[in-house]
Amino acid sequence: MAYEFRLLETGFHRAAFNMGLDEALLRSVAEGRSLPTLRFYGWAPPAVSIGYFQGLHEEVDAAACKTAGIDVVRRITGGGAVFHHHEVTYSIVLPLSHPLARPNILDSYRLLLGGIIEGLSILGIEAEFAPINDIIAGGKKISGNAQTRKLGCLLQHGTIILDVDVDRMFTVLKVPQEKTRGKLIEDIKSRVTSIKHCLPQSESMSFETLYATTIQSLKKGFAKALNLALVSSVPTEAELQLAEQLAQEKFSSQTWITLR
Amino acid sequence: MRLELVGKPEGCKLLRMTIDVEPPLVPSSRIRSLSIRGDFFAVPEEAFDELERKLEGTTLEELGKKFDGLIGQNGLECLGITGSGLDEIIQKELHNGI
Repeated sequence: MAYEFRLLETGFHRAAFNMGLDEALLRSVAEGRSLPTLRFYGWAPPAVSIGYFQGLHEEVDAAACKTAGIDVVRRITGGGAVFHHHEVTYSIVLPLSHPLARPNILDSYRLLLGGIIEGLSILGIEAEFAPINDIIAGGKKISGNAQTRKLGCLLQHGTIILDVDVDRMFTVLKVPQEKTRGKLIEDIKSRVTSIKHCLPQSESMSFETLYATTIQSLKKGFAKALNLALVSSVPTEAELQLAEQLAQEKFSSQTWITLR
Repeated sequence: MRLELVGKPEGCKLLRMTIDVEPPLVPSSRIRSLSIRGDFFAVPEEAFDELERKLEGTTLEELGKKFDGLIGQNGLECLGITGSGLDEIIQKELHNGI
Protein backbone atom coordinates (compact mmCIF):
# COMPACT_ATOMS: atom_id res chain seq x y z
CA MET A 1 0.00 0.00 0.00
CA ALA A 2 1.50 3.32 -1.09
CA TYR A 3 1.75 6.26 1.30
CA GLU A 4 -0.65 9.04 0.33
CA PHE A 5 1.12 12.41 0.01
CA ARG A 6 -0.19 15.75 -1.11
CA LEU A 7 1.74 17.15 -4.11
CA LEU A 8 2.09 20.93 -4.42
CA GLU A 9 3.69 22.80 -7.30
CA THR A 10 3.60 26.36 -6.06
CA GLY A 11 5.63 28.15 -8.73
CA PHE A 12 8.04 31.03 -8.21
CA HIS A 13 7.85 33.33 -5.21
CA ARG A 14 9.86 35.71 -3.07
CA ALA A 15 12.20 34.15 -0.53
CA ALA A 16 10.21 35.21 2.54
CA PHE A 17 7.01 33.69 1.16
CA ASN A 18 8.77 30.47 0.16
CA MET A 19 10.11 29.99 3.68
CA GLY A 20 6.79 31.10 5.14
CA LEU A 21 4.91 28.50 3.12
CA ASP A 22 7.32 25.72 4.13
CA GLU A 23 6.73 26.59 7.78
CA ALA A 24 2.97 26.91 7.22
CA LEU A 25 2.92 23.43 5.68
CA LEU A 26 4.86 22.10 8.66
CA ARG A 27 2.31 23.55 11.07
CA SER A 28 -0.63 22.36 9.00
CA VAL A 29 0.66 18.78 8.83
CA ALA A 30 1.57 18.92 12.54
CA GLU A 31 -2.01 19.88 13.39
CA GLY A 32 -3.37 17.04 11.27
CA ARG A 33 -5.12 19.46 8.90
CA SER A 34 -3.15 18.34 5.84
CA LEU A 35 -1.68 15.16 4.45
CA PRO A 36 2.08 14.66 4.45
CA THR A 37 3.24 16.96 1.68
CA LEU A 38 5.78 17.12 -1.12
CA ARG A 39 6.21 20.59 -2.60
CA PHE A 40 8.19 21.86 -5.61
CA TYR A 41 8.96 25.54 -6.05
CA GLY A 42 11.25 28.22 -7.41
CA TRP A 43 12.52 31.69 -6.45
CA ALA A 44 11.64 35.03 -8.06
CA PRO A 45 13.66 37.14 -7.75
CA PRO A 46 16.77 35.01 -7.17
CA ALA A 47 17.62 34.73 -3.48
CA VAL A 48 20.25 33.82 -0.95
CA SER A 49 19.16 31.68 1.96
CA ILE A 50 21.38 31.14 4.96
CA GLY A 51 21.28 28.36 7.51
CA TYR A 52 19.70 28.96 10.91
CA PHE A 53 23.09 28.99 12.65
CA GLN A 54 24.97 31.17 10.17
CA GLY A 55 25.96 34.77 10.74
CA LEU A 56 24.36 36.92 8.05
CA HIS A 57 27.22 39.34 7.57
CA GLU A 58 29.82 36.58 7.61
CA GLU A 59 28.16 34.78 4.72
CA VAL A 60 26.31 37.34 2.63
CA ASP A 61 27.07 40.72 1.08
CA ALA A 62 23.67 42.15 1.95
CA ALA A 63 24.37 45.46 0.20
CA ALA A 64 25.29 43.68 -3.04
CA CYS A 65 22.09 41.63 -2.78
CA LYS A 66 20.02 44.78 -2.36
CA THR A 67 21.69 46.44 -5.35
CA ALA A 68 21.17 43.35 -7.50
CA GLY A 69 17.55 42.84 -6.38
CA ILE A 70 18.36 39.52 -4.75
CA ASP A 71 16.30 38.47 -1.73
CA VAL A 72 17.98 37.37 1.49
CA VAL A 73 16.32 35.04 3.97
CA ARG A 74 17.28 32.96 7.00
CA ARG A 75 15.96 29.39 6.96
CA ILE A 76 14.53 27.53 9.94
CA THR A 77 16.93 24.70 9.02
CA GLY A 78 20.67 24.50 9.51
CA GLY A 79 23.24 24.07 6.78
CA GLY A 80 24.99 26.54 4.56
CA ALA A 81 24.29 29.60 2.45
CA VAL A 82 22.63 28.89 -0.90
CA PHE A 83 22.26 31.10 -3.95
CA HIS A 84 18.84 30.16 -5.36
CA HIS A 85 18.62 30.92 -9.04
CA HIS A 86 18.49 28.20 -11.69
CA GLU A 87 17.27 25.30 -9.61
CA VAL A 88 14.30 23.23 -8.55
CA THR A 89 13.60 23.49 -4.83
CA TYR A 90 11.54 20.92 -2.96
CA SER A 91 10.23 20.49 0.54
CA ILE A 92 8.81 17.42 2.16
CA VAL A 93 6.83 17.45 5.39
CA LEU A 94 5.67 14.42 7.33
CA PRO A 95 4.82 13.54 10.93
CA LEU A 96 7.62 11.95 12.94
CA SER A 97 5.21 9.06 13.53
CA HIS A 98 5.15 8.32 9.77
CA PRO A 99 6.98 5.15 8.66
CA LEU A 100 9.16 7.28 6.34
CA ALA A 101 10.42 9.45 9.22
CA ARG A 102 13.52 7.84 10.68
CA PRO A 103 14.49 8.82 14.26
CA ASN A 104 18.09 9.46 13.23
CA ILE A 105 18.63 12.55 11.05
CA LEU A 106 21.34 10.98 8.90
CA ASP A 107 19.14 7.93 8.28
CA SER A 108 16.32 10.30 7.33
CA TYR A 109 18.49 12.11 4.80
CA ARG A 110 19.55 8.79 3.31
CA LEU A 111 15.97 7.57 2.96
CA LEU A 112 14.30 10.77 1.73
CA LEU A 113 17.11 11.69 -0.66
CA GLY A 114 16.45 8.35 -2.33
CA GLY A 115 13.56 10.15 -4.04
CA ILE A 116 15.89 12.71 -5.61
CA ILE A 117 18.50 10.12 -6.55
CA GLU A 118 15.79 8.08 -8.27
CA GLY A 119 14.45 11.19 -10.00
CA LEU A 120 17.90 12.03 -11.30
CA SER A 121 18.29 8.45 -12.49
CA ILE A 122 15.05 8.79 -14.46
CA LEU A 123 16.56 11.90 -16.05
CA GLY A 124 19.63 9.87 -16.97
CA ILE A 125 21.98 11.04 -14.21
CA GLU A 126 23.61 8.55 -11.86
CA ALA A 127 23.90 10.14 -8.45
CA GLU A 128 24.53 9.10 -4.87
CA PHE A 129 24.07 10.29 -1.30
CA ALA A 130 27.10 12.12 0.11
CA PRO A 131 26.67 12.50 3.89
CA ILE A 132 25.81 14.67 5.67
CA ASN A 133 23.32 16.37 3.37
CA ASP A 134 24.41 16.36 -0.26
CA ILE A 135 23.82 14.37 -3.43
CA ILE A 136 26.71 14.07 -5.85
CA ALA A 137 26.89 13.14 -9.53
CA GLY A 138 30.26 12.30 -11.03
CA GLY A 139 31.82 13.20 -7.69
CA LYS A 140 30.37 16.73 -7.73
CA LYS A 141 27.51 18.24 -5.72
CA ILE A 142 24.22 18.46 -7.61
CA SER A 143 21.85 18.80 -4.65
CA GLY A 144 22.09 20.30 -1.16
CA ASN A 145 19.55 19.63 1.55
CA ALA A 146 18.58 20.61 5.09
CA GLN A 147 16.27 19.05 7.64
CA THR A 148 14.61 20.03 10.88
CA ARG A 149 12.09 18.55 13.26
CA LYS A 150 9.47 20.69 14.95
CA LEU A 151 5.96 20.22 16.38
CA GLY A 152 6.23 16.45 15.95
CA CYS A 153 6.98 16.77 12.24
CA LEU A 154 9.97 16.49 9.96
CA LEU A 155 10.64 19.18 7.34
CA GLN A 156 13.32 18.64 4.75
CA HIS A 157 13.98 21.04 1.95
CA GLY A 158 16.68 21.29 -0.65
CA THR A 159 17.77 22.23 -4.11
CA ILE A 160 18.45 20.39 -7.33
CA ILE A 161 20.85 22.51 -9.36
CA LEU A 162 19.73 23.02 -12.96
CA ASP A 163 22.48 25.42 -13.97
CA VAL A 164 25.17 27.17 -11.99
CA ASP A 165 26.79 30.58 -12.32
CA VAL A 166 29.54 30.53 -9.72
CA ASP A 167 30.88 33.95 -10.71
CA ARG A 168 27.48 35.55 -10.05
CA MET A 169 27.04 33.51 -6.89
CA PHE A 170 30.15 35.09 -5.40
CA THR A 171 29.02 38.61 -6.13
CA VAL A 172 26.60 38.10 -3.22
CA LEU A 173 28.21 35.40 -1.05
CA LYS A 174 31.21 36.33 1.08
CA VAL A 175 34.56 34.71 0.45
CA PRO A 176 36.21 33.21 3.56
CA GLN A 177 39.19 35.29 4.67
CA GLU A 178 41.66 32.49 4.10
CA LYS A 179 40.74 32.17 0.42
CA THR A 180 41.05 34.49 -2.53
CA ARG A 181 37.95 35.03 -4.65
CA GLY A 182 39.54 33.49 -7.74
CA LYS A 183 40.76 30.42 -5.87
CA LEU A 184 37.36 29.93 -4.23
CA ILE A 185 35.50 30.25 -7.52
CA GLU A 186 37.80 27.70 -9.15
CA ASP A 187 37.37 25.44 -6.13
CA ILE A 188 33.56 25.62 -6.25
CA LYS A 189 33.52 25.09 -10.02
CA SER A 190 35.51 21.90 -9.51
CA ARG A 191 33.13 20.63 -6.80
CA VAL A 192 29.66 21.62 -8.06
CA THR A 193 27.78 20.38 -11.09
CA SER A 194 24.29 20.81 -12.55
CA ILE A 195 21.69 18.95 -14.55
CA LYS A 196 22.60 21.07 -17.55
CA HIS A 197 26.22 20.00 -17.25
CA CYS A 198 25.37 16.32 -16.71
CA LEU A 199 22.87 16.13 -19.57
CA PRO A 200 24.34 17.61 -22.75
CA GLN A 201 20.94 17.27 -24.48
CA SER A 202 19.52 19.78 -21.98
CA GLU A 203 21.87 22.50 -23.26
CA SER A 204 19.30 23.57 -25.85
CA MET A 205 16.38 23.52 -23.40
CA SER A 206 14.90 26.72 -22.06
CA PHE A 207 15.03 27.14 -18.28
CA GLU A 208 11.24 26.66 -18.14
CA THR A 209 11.41 23.35 -20.01
CA LEU A 210 14.32 22.07 -17.93
CA TYR A 211 12.53 23.10 -14.71
CA ALA A 212 9.32 21.31 -15.73
CA THR A 213 11.16 18.22 -17.01
CA THR A 214 13.15 17.93 -13.81
CA ILE A 215 10.05 18.21 -11.63
CA GLN A 216 8.32 15.49 -13.66
CA SER A 217 11.26 13.17 -13.06
CA LEU A 218 11.48 14.05 -9.39
CA LYS A 219 7.79 13.31 -8.89
CA LYS A 220 8.30 9.86 -10.39
CA GLY A 221 11.49 9.42 -8.40
CA PHE A 222 9.89 10.25 -5.04
CA ALA A 223 6.85 8.09 -5.85
CA LYS A 224 9.02 5.11 -6.75
CA ALA A 225 11.75 5.36 -4.12
CA LEU A 226 9.45 6.21 -1.20
CA ASN A 227 6.36 4.33 -2.41
CA LEU A 228 4.24 7.49 -2.50
CA ALA A 229 0.79 7.95 -4.00
CA LEU A 230 1.00 11.64 -4.93
CA VAL A 231 -2.26 13.60 -4.92
CA SER A 232 -1.97 16.88 -6.84
CA SER A 233 -3.38 19.75 -4.86
CA VAL A 234 -2.94 23.39 -3.91
CA PRO A 235 -2.17 24.94 -0.53
CA THR A 236 -5.25 25.62 1.58
CA GLU A 237 -6.40 29.19 2.18
CA ALA A 238 -5.32 28.85 5.80
CA GLU A 239 -1.83 27.74 4.72
CA LEU A 240 -1.52 30.63 2.27
CA GLN A 241 -2.67 33.15 4.86
CA LEU A 242 -0.22 31.80 7.43
CA ALA A 243 2.56 31.79 4.81
CA GLU A 244 1.91 35.47 4.06
CA GLN A 245 1.83 36.29 7.75
CA LEU A 246 5.09 34.44 8.41
CA ALA A 247 6.66 36.05 5.34
CA GLN A 248 5.84 39.53 6.61
CA GLU A 249 6.26 39.14 10.34
CA LYS A 250 9.09 36.61 10.56
CA PHE A 251 11.06 35.93 7.42
CA SER A 252 11.19 39.57 6.23
CA SER A 253 12.03 40.95 9.65
CA GLN A 254 15.55 42.20 10.35
CA THR A 255 15.33 40.57 13.79
CA TRP A 256 15.06 37.16 12.14
CA ILE A 257 17.42 37.80 9.23
CA THR A 258 20.17 39.10 11.51
CA LEU A 259 19.48 36.60 14.30
CA ARG A 260 23.16 35.57 14.26
CA MET B 1 38.65 40.08 25.87
CA ARG B 2 36.94 38.90 22.72
CA LEU B 3 38.06 36.00 20.55
CA GLU B 4 36.86 35.65 16.96
CA LEU B 5 37.66 32.07 15.96
CA VAL B 6 37.05 30.09 12.80
CA GLY B 7 38.01 26.60 11.74
CA LYS B 8 36.95 23.47 9.98
CA PRO B 9 38.05 20.59 12.19
CA GLU B 10 38.01 17.03 10.87
CA GLY B 11 34.43 15.74 10.73
CA CYS B 12 32.93 19.19 11.25
CA LYS B 13 31.43 21.85 9.03
CA LEU B 14 32.93 25.36 9.02
CA LEU B 15 32.59 26.61 12.59
CA ARG B 16 32.83 30.21 13.79
CA MET B 17 32.91 31.27 17.41
CA THR B 18 32.81 34.61 19.16
CA ILE B 19 33.88 34.17 22.78
CA ASP B 20 34.14 36.81 25.48
CA VAL B 21 36.57 35.54 28.12
CA GLU B 22 38.06 36.88 31.31
CA PRO B 23 41.69 37.82 30.63
CA PRO B 24 44.40 36.63 30.52
CA LEU B 25 44.02 34.16 27.67
CA VAL B 26 44.84 30.84 29.31
CA PRO B 27 43.11 27.43 29.25
CA SER B 28 41.38 28.17 32.55
CA SER B 29 39.91 31.49 31.34
CA ARG B 30 36.19 31.62 32.02
CA ILE B 31 33.76 32.23 29.17
CA ARG B 32 31.51 35.23 29.78
CA SER B 33 29.47 34.72 26.63
CA LEU B 34 29.76 32.91 23.36
CA SER B 35 28.12 32.54 19.98
CA ILE B 36 28.69 29.52 17.77
CA ARG B 37 27.88 29.91 14.10
CA GLY B 38 28.33 27.88 10.95
CA ASP B 39 26.71 25.56 8.44
CA PHE B 40 26.23 22.72 10.92
CA PHE B 41 22.93 21.14 11.90
CA ALA B 42 21.39 20.92 15.36
CA VAL B 43 17.86 19.75 16.03
CA PRO B 44 15.86 21.18 17.67
CA GLU B 45 17.52 24.48 16.75
CA GLU B 46 16.12 26.36 19.75
CA ALA B 47 17.70 23.81 22.11
CA PHE B 48 21.08 24.73 20.64
CA ASP B 49 20.41 28.38 21.48
CA GLU B 50 19.81 27.23 25.07
CA LEU B 51 22.98 25.12 25.02
CA GLU B 52 25.03 28.19 24.12
CA ARG B 53 23.72 30.00 27.17
CA LYS B 54 24.55 27.00 29.40
CA LEU B 55 28.15 27.09 28.19
CA GLU B 56 28.62 30.55 29.71
CA GLY B 57 30.78 30.33 32.83
CA THR B 58 32.68 27.32 31.50
CA THR B 59 36.45 27.51 31.08
CA LEU B 60 38.00 27.37 27.63
CA GLU B 61 39.63 24.01 28.41
CA GLU B 62 36.31 22.48 29.49
CA LEU B 63 34.20 23.80 26.63
CA GLY B 64 34.27 20.74 24.38
CA LYS B 65 33.54 18.27 27.16
CA LYS B 66 30.70 20.41 28.52
CA PHE B 67 29.30 20.84 24.98
CA ASP B 68 29.20 17.06 24.41
CA GLY B 69 27.63 16.53 27.83
CA LEU B 70 24.87 19.06 27.17
CA ILE B 71 24.02 17.46 23.84
CA GLY B 72 23.42 14.20 25.66
CA GLN B 73 21.23 15.86 28.28
CA ASN B 74 19.12 18.01 26.00
CA GLY B 75 18.10 15.39 23.47
CA LEU B 76 19.84 17.53 20.91
CA GLU B 77 21.06 15.88 17.75
CA CYS B 78 24.01 17.65 16.11
CA LEU B 79 25.64 16.99 12.78
CA GLY B 80 28.80 18.72 11.61
CA ILE B 81 29.78 20.03 15.04
CA THR B 82 31.45 18.27 17.98
CA GLY B 83 32.99 19.19 21.30
CA SER B 84 36.38 17.98 20.11
CA GLY B 85 36.02 20.18 17.02
CA LEU B 86 35.38 23.23 19.19
CA ASP B 87 38.34 22.25 21.39
CA GLU B 88 40.59 21.99 18.34
CA ILE B 89 39.76 25.54 17.26
CA ILE B 90 40.28 26.87 20.79
CA GLN B 91 43.55 24.99 21.28
CA LYS B 92 44.88 26.52 18.08
CA GLU B 93 44.04 30.00 19.39
CA LEU B 94 45.55 29.27 22.79
CA HIS B 95 48.69 27.97 21.13
CA ASN B 96 48.93 31.14 19.05
CA GLY B 97 48.03 33.43 21.93
CA ILE B 98 50.31 32.14 24.64
